[in-house]
Formats: sequence, C-alpha cells, structure tokens
Amino acid sequence: MAEKILTKNFGLENLFKIGVYLENKGYAAAKKALADMKPDGILEEVKAANLRGRGGAGFPAGVKWGFVPKESDKPKYLCVNADEGEPGTFKDRYIMSHNPHLLIEGIIITSYCVGIHTAFIYIRGEYEAVALRLEQAIAEAYEKGFLGKDILGSGFHLDVYVHRGAGAYICGEETALLESLEGKRGNPRLKPPFPASVGLFGCPTVINNVETISNVPSIVLNGASWFCQTGLPKDGGTRIFGVSGMVKKPGIYELPVGTSLKEIITKHAGGMKEGKNLKAVIPGGMSAPILTADEIAIDMDFDSLMQAKSMLGSAAIIVIDEETSMLDVLKRITKFYSHESCGQCTPCRIGNSWINKIVKRIADGSGKRGDLDKIVKLANNMLGKTLCPLGDAAAMPVLSIIQKFRKELETYLGN
Amino acid sequence: MSPELTDRTKKKIAEISSRYASKEAALLPVLHLVQNETGFISQQEEKLVADLLDIQPIRVKEVVTFYTMFNQKQVGKYHIQVCSNLTCSLLGGESLIDHLKEKLGIAVGETTADQKFTLTTVECLGACEQAPCMMINFDYYGNLDKGKIDDILDKLE
Amino acid sequence: MVKIFIDERALDVEEGTTVLNAAESAGIKIPHLCYHKAFVPEGTCRMCLVEIEGIPKLELACSTRVREGMKISTMSERVIEARKGVLECLLAEHPIDCPICDQAGECKLQDYYEDYGLFESEFRETKEKREKKIEIGKNLLHDQERCVLCRRCVRFLSEVTKTGEMGVFERGIHAEVSTYDGVPVDNDYSGNLAEICPVGAITDKDFRFKTRTWFLHSRESICPLCSRGCNIFVESHQGFSRFSLPKRVYRVRSRENQAVNGFWICDKGRYEYAYLDQARSVDISAKNGKGSSTWEEVISSVAEKTDRMYYRKRSGYMGIMLQSWLTNEELFLVKKIFRDDLKIEKIGFFDPPDGKADDFLLTKERTPNKRGAKELGFDLQPPDWERFFDNVEMLFLFASPLLDKMDADLLKPALDRINTKVLFTSHDHEIKSSFDVVLPVSLIAEKEGSLTNIAGTVQNFLPAMDALGDSKPEWQYLVEFARKMTVNSKYYRHLSSLESIREEMKKENPFFREEQ
Repeated sequence: MAEKILTKNFGLENLFKIGVYLENKGYAAAKKALADMKPDGILEEVKAANLRGRGGAGFPAGVKWGFVPKESDKPKYLCVNADEGEPGTFKDRYIMSHNPHLLIEGIIITSYCVGIHTAFIYIRGEYEAVALRLEQAIAEAYEKGFLGKDILGSGFHLDVYVHRGAGAYICGEETALLESLEGKRGNPRLKPPFPASVGLFGCPTVINNVETISNVPSIVLNGASWFCQTGLPKDGGTRIFGVSGMVKKPGIYELPVGTSLKEIITKHAGGMKEGKNLKAVIPGGMSAPILTADEIAIDMDFDSLMQAKSMLGSAAIIVIDEETSMLDVLKRITKFYSHESCGQCTPCRIGNSWINKIVKRIADGSGKRGDLDKIVKLANNMLGKTLCPLGDAAAMPVLSIIQKFRKELETYLGN
Repeated sequence: MSPELTDRTKKKIAEISSRYASKEAALLPVLHLVQNETGFISQQEEKLVADLLDIQPIRVKEVVTFYTMFNQKQVGKYHIQVCSNLTCSLLGGESLIDHLKEKLGIAVGETTADQKFTLTTVECLGACEQAPCMMINFDYYGNLDKGKIDDILDKLE
Repeated sequence: MVKIFIDERALDVEEGTTVLNAAESAGIKIPHLCYHKAFVPEGTCRMCLVEIEGIPKLELACSTRVREGMKISTMSERVIEARKGVLECLLAEHPIDCPICDQAGECKLQDYYEDYGLFESEFRETKEKREKKIEIGKNLLHDQERCVLCRRCVRFLSEVTKTGEMGVFERGIHAEVSTYDGVPVDNDYSGNLAEICPVGAITDKDFRFKTRTWFLHSRESICPLCSRGCNIFVESHQGFSRFSLPKRVYRVRSRENQAVNGFWICDKGRYEYAYLDQARSVDISAKNGKGSSTWEEVISSVAEKTDRMYYRKRSGYMGIMLQSWLTNEELFLVKKIFRDDLKIEKIGFFDPPDGKADDFLLTKERTPNKRGAKELGFDLQPPDWERFFDNVEMLFLFASPLLDKMDADLLKPALDRINTKVLFTSHDHEIKSSFDVVLPVSLIAEKEGSLTNIAGTVQNFLPAMDALGDSKPEWQYLVEFARKMTVNSKYYRHLSSLESIREEMKKENPFFREEQ
C-alpha cells in the first residue's frame, strides 16, 4: 500500500485544529527548517526532489524559487494559488478544509527558503467556508508562534493572509492572479518579465499551487531521495487524483505519481457506475486532451501523458460514459472557455466565442458540413498565439475531441 | 444618498486595507464585505468603495463587471447557483436546472416575485465528486436529485 | 549595437530596441493594432506575431527586444497565417460599416485586410450587437461594435492625461470599452483619442460625414495658437472642379516631435482651425489709388510716402503696430527696416492677454512667436497707447487673426486722427474701412518661415496650402517695400527668398545660429 503524504491523517477528527495537528508531527518540518537548515539547503533539497507544480503546468518548484533574486531591495511575496478553477478539480479544497496547517507549514518553509515575509493565499471566491477555515487555522498558528514575528525564536518573521477571488477561472493563471490580488481585472500579463523578478506590486514573487506547497514539509522532513522513491525519480511524490463523472466512487485518491489511469478508475474509484460503459476520459482537468476508452492503460505522470499528447495537469480525472454525447461534452467545454476568457487578446476573445456559437448552432440542429473544420481552424488560431495559456487550454480539448470523435460529431451535422 | 455600512464592516475594511502595499489591492475583499451587507454593487456602492480606497469609481466598475460573483443588480434572499459544467452535466445537472425553473416559475437569471430566490447557472464549483451540485449563497449542496432540491428549498426561510 | 537579421537582411540596431521598431527603421512594416509608440507594449491584439529562429512559438514584435544574432522572419507562411487568423476574428465580429465610417481610407483593418486578407467571411453566426453612436464627451462619438479592444483610448486617458475617463467592462466577448455612467471624457486632449483609434470606433464629430480621407492633402505645419509650437498636419481638401466647397481645411492632426510636443496636440490646436478659411481678407484695396492696382504699385506708393517722411526727419511721427504672430524672418525684417533703417521708435506690440496654461502643452501665451520677438530685441510690453498714437501721421498695422483682441474703443478714434494708414491683414474686420491701404496677408499654414517656441526651439516650416486670393506673406511685402525706398534698398535687393532672409537673420543674431 503506497504511502500517503498529504492525506495521511485525513481520518483524524479535527485535524484542522492546531492541537490535533501538533500531536501528529505537525510543524516538525517547519521547526527543523528554521532551526537546523539554511535557506540554500532547503532550496537544494526541493530542487533535488524535483517537486513539480501540481496546479497544472508542472513546472519544477525548486527551479522557480531559484529564479527569485537572492538580494532585492524590494520585499518578496509568496502567492499560494488556491483558485482551483480547472473543471474537474477539487483536491485543494480537501487539503485546505481537512489539513490547513499542512499548507501553512509549507508556506512557512517556502517563505523562509526564498526570503519572503508576506504570503497571500489567493482562494477562489466560492470557497467561502474553506477560506474561513484557513483564517481560523492561520489565527491558531499566530497564537502558537508559528506565524508573525520571530517565529520559534528564529528571527524569521512571516505574515500570511487569505485573499478571496470573485469568480474568474482566469485568475488561476499566475499573472492574472497577481493582477487580481492588486485589485484589478484578472488580465494576464505579458511575460517576460516573469513574476520571479517582477511580480506582485512589481516585487519578486513566487506563485505555487496549494498541493505543491503542501508537499514541502515532508520533503524537508524526509529528504529529496525519499520523495523521489515515492512516485518516479524525475517526478516524485504522490498526486491527489480527483475522480469524478460516471464512476461508482468519485472522490480524491492520493497515489504515487505514475499510477496507472486504469487502476485509478477501476480499482480505486470503483469502476464504472452500474450499467455504464467507458467511452472517454479527461485525465488532467478540462484543458487536458481527451483519451478514448482504449487509451486508459497509461501511467499518470507528466512525461507519459505528454507522450500520449495529453497532459497530467491538475490530475482531475473526468470519466465519460457511452451514453453521453460528445457534442454535449464539446458544448460544455466551449461554453466554459468562452465564458472565462478575460477578453484581452483577439484570438481567445473572439475565437472562443465563435467556436462556442458554432457548437451551439450544431447542438440546436443547424450544423453544416465544414463546421468541424472551421472549429479546428479557429482552435489552431489560438494554439500558441494567445497572450496566456487559456487559449491553449481552450484549444487542446476541442481539437482532441474533434480528432478522436469526428465520426460521431459528424452525425450531428446537416449538409 | 450613500449606503451606510456597519461599524463592524468599516473596521474590517480598515484592517484589510492595511495588509497591502497599495490601497487598491483591497478592492476585491472590500467589495465582498460591502456586497455582504448591501446584496449587490450599484453605482452608490461603487462610489462608496472608490472613496474608501482613493480610486476612481470607474475602476471599481471595471472590477465589478469582470468577476461573476459581484452582483450588478439585486438578487433574491437565496441565490441558487447551479453548476452547468461538464461533470455536473454528465450526472444530470441539466434536468435539475429545468426542475428548478419549473418549481420556482422563473427562467435562469431571474428572481422570484417575492424576492426570495434567484436562479443562475455557474461554471465548475470545485465539488465535482458530489456532482450534480449547486451553491446557495455560499453553501454547497451536492449529490442532488429533484427530491433533495425540494427538501433543501423547503427548509429555507 | 547588436546585429540582427530581419527577412534575411542584416541590420545593426541599438540594444533594447523592439523587433517592431527595428523592422520599422529598416522600412519593414509589421502590422499592429494595440501597439503605440507612446505606451508600454500591451501585446493583446496579437497582430504583430513574427517568427524568430530557435523559438518554437511565434513571438510578439512589439515587445520582444532584439538580441545579438537574432533571425526574424516577418513574412513566413506561419506568420501570414497567424495574421490572417487575427484579422478573420476581428472582422467576424466587426460591422462592415465602411460605406458610412469616417475611418475609411485610414483604417487599419481595411489596410491589413488588403495586405493579408482578401478572403471571404466564413462567419455564419450572429454578430454581437452593441451601441453604435455614443456621445462620450467633447467632440467624440463611440461605436462599440467597431471597437477592436486595443485599449489605446483607455491607456491614453490613464497614462497621458491621467484622467481615466474610459475603462473596459465585462469579460470575454462581452468586454467593451466605455466611459463611466454619466462621466464623459472631459479633458483638453480628447481629440487625440479619435486620432489614435486604429478603426472607426472613436470618431470626431467635427469631421463626421464631412468628407472622405482620401480627398485630403496632409501637409506639415506648426500650430500658432499658443507658444508651444506643436507640430501639426493641416489637412485640406483640394476642391472639385465642378463645384466649390465651404472650406479648405477639414482637419488638423498631431505630428510627432519628441523635442516639442511629443505625440500629441491639445484640443485648442486641433479644433480652432476655422480661422484658416473664415472671414478671410483676400483683396487689395487702396484709397486714392487709380482704379485697381497691383500689390507692387500699392507698395511702391507706400514706400514713396515713407521715404519722404524719413528724409523730412519725421520718423518720430510714424508708428508700427504688430503682434507676435509674425515669423522670425518677418520680425527680423520689421526690426531692420523700421527700427534700424527708418529709425522709427514707435513700435508697439498689441498681443492678446495671456490665457490659461495647462500643465502639459498649452502655454499661457496666445501668440506663437513671443520668444522670437524677444530674441530679436523687441520689447513686447504694450506701450501707453494714448502716448503712442499722439502725433502719429503714418501708421503701419500688421494684423493677425487676433486683431479683434485689440481694444476697438482705443483704436478707432486714434485711427481717425492719422493721415496715412496701412493695414496688413489676413481677416476681415470692421476696422478695415478706416485704412487707406489694405494688403491681404497669408497665414502661417500658407507660408514659409520659422517660429521660436517658448522653450527657445526654432522651427522652420513650409506652406501647408496655397495662399488665398491676392494674399501674400508679410515678408514678401516687406522686402518689396524696403527695395522701393531709397534708405537702404541695396541691402534688400539680394533678399529674394525666405532662405536668404533667414541667412541674414542668422548672421546678425547668434541665437538663430544655434543647432536646433
């Protein structure tokens, strides 16, 4: 039975209370980091662990932290990305609701490592209850001296604040998140410059996903090689897979990186619902290109999925059954991206809306021959040409569905 | 006539504003606090918030109209937001929306005559393991079916 | 300097230059909508994507800075395809208003469609409907359907005027640029918005439906309405052969000059151009003349009279009135002829009082050449007019369009007492009838010369359009006048061109010799 890291203690009652957390090795990593380790040492460990971002892009966290200039006359910031907007994703909600102190501990170590004294948890606006829980946990941490001035007598000080979003998927994109945190519209910024040099309020900023940061305490406590032994050498640790859709047991399943998709669906999530047959799976959140029923014998890690021309993304697995029309799936997808486009750049703003209009027309029964090709053309117009990855996120699933389910989609067209 | 905020809210606003390097950064939290009291952000609230944060009202409106959670007009006592994204649709979310439309006698985007319920559809709420789900004000309800929805609504005062 | 290659051409450009500007300097135009030299690049229109060797994705030319050895392709298949893609999207949701849109002829969408498009529309859906004729303040109209969301207007109002009257509301395809409810655009640089809008989304009511852009001749000039000396384009219609138009000038636009006005002009300079065509005085009139005389004959007779006054030692009974609308060269001639040659002491400026300056371009001075006059040694303080007119037997009045700023109550009775009165004027005025000789003069937009702005920058300019009727620039009258007198005519004999006058001016006055 593979070792759980993040959800290990989820069974404990009131784990979200600092008392319970402390009783179960809570804040031991933070203590170790502040007392026994130097920031450089922590950075080396995280780099060696090859901790990859768990928000979607999979960028190595240690490398990202390393981009922040050591010396800076500006304050540095940490923004924890708790926007969790990728459809199908709900893992961070679990971490923050059940084990908020794990996140806080990760924030302390990360901040200490990079030289940050103010951290914001940017949490999606809908997660009000979760935000309240976080605020309570933060208050407890301040009370016990894990946050604030001179933490545990180390001389290191850190303030952590919860900052709620207000309903915009695009604010999960790191630069849009910064804009939103600064009180503006969530419009992504041009990169370069990158947030590591010019981020929040123009200062060096690290932005990482909740799950990514939550892995830091165990890496500090157990070391990089331990982390790599769980999972894969280049892609260590576990992932919290979020399974939803037509399965018997939707929910979160923390498993080593590289676990087979088939195993996750059939063994852990209980297999298909009674009387349902598997048709397709979205393996990494809505933006991930779709896999057909024949393609689920695949290992869930970044490289394997990339080779299969899909992506691990947020490890959100949506299981689709044969009775579901792929046109309907397409409709939901195009509606989503056209609704969430910030509207800044031409190909995404107009391209997504145009694609959505075509799909709606097809769904209303007025589809014409050539419509699918037009959608493909428009999606390719966006791919790699938009200001931020939302264009790619919108194009990839659409292209994969049309490619793999063209015959079915054509049946919905007229002449 | 500017809307009056409770002292508690004013205090919270002052405390929050001090967290950020710029006053403007407090805009989203402040809008949440104000909307909590007034229900929606009209031009009055825009002016109020603008004055509090030393920014122009136009900048407030730019933000209010960008984010879906800020209401530009009054909503009912209970804002029923049903997820219409992929997983919830797979699990019958569409028929639940129809059920609500029928039960409340309104179309999506409308409010009941007694101002009690507003019905809207939203994108993924991040609770797909409980699909189909909805959010009423800020409370999540999952694993819904018509019966459960009826129960939930009936219990709301 | 770094060496780069654009479309296989080797170029040396300064480090830090963007690909777009580097290409521009080599005459290679990369299409763009949201980019404007005055603002930080935004990179939202995606029109300027180019291919850079070694980089898998297409990159923005407007914001990518050159690096040593960079190889850029602006016309590869991938690039053209990307441009077509952006165009197609914009045109899909764009109302094809060309037949009624003022921007036609200078519209970026039209231009780029001609260069990169020429495809049939494949948009079979319903276009978004929006407001089309919104009064957003001052002279501006806003059409939200035509808007391509380049946000130049928003950025102008936020970064240049810092008044922030416009913003972007809603999200995605519903995103629209607008003013805030009931708060119109209200600053003195609003006209620049219509100019920077790349399409017909923001248009000028002053120009609306008046004429087509391709009928206009756009010529360089200098704005004379304050002493900033903003560089402008005067855009005039050449007229049709079969019927006449009510005016020549339809528009004044800004002209970039980083040393003087940057990219912009104020609304005063932009909109107050009616004086160029209205109430112009274009005919010669000379009382006591024999029927219709040529200007040379009239000048000759005036010169004769003046000569006689001078030799009878009556220079003290002559007076010169002028405004600092005259060019440097003209003021130089006035000084040389009237002060130096004729020893006339009564030379008085009747400039209009100062107006309000803003903290940007508009100066308080309401004439363009006070500094030039100062540098030439004139005292611009208006004299005691009572004393001035005392015992004046011969008066020369050089009037500019601002003649009516002179106190009529003061002038009229004084004129009645003066024997010989010579008026040089560009505009009609009730006072004309009191003068014996009226000679029509051309305006700054119609002549050659130079002006010195408030900061001491000397700017040469050429005519932006032809003079009207018989009007001539003051310097031509002055040279002829000086030649016809006997006092110092030899000197003026070789001053046959404006250039030669300028040379003399530079010789005598080191200020004008400085490298500008």
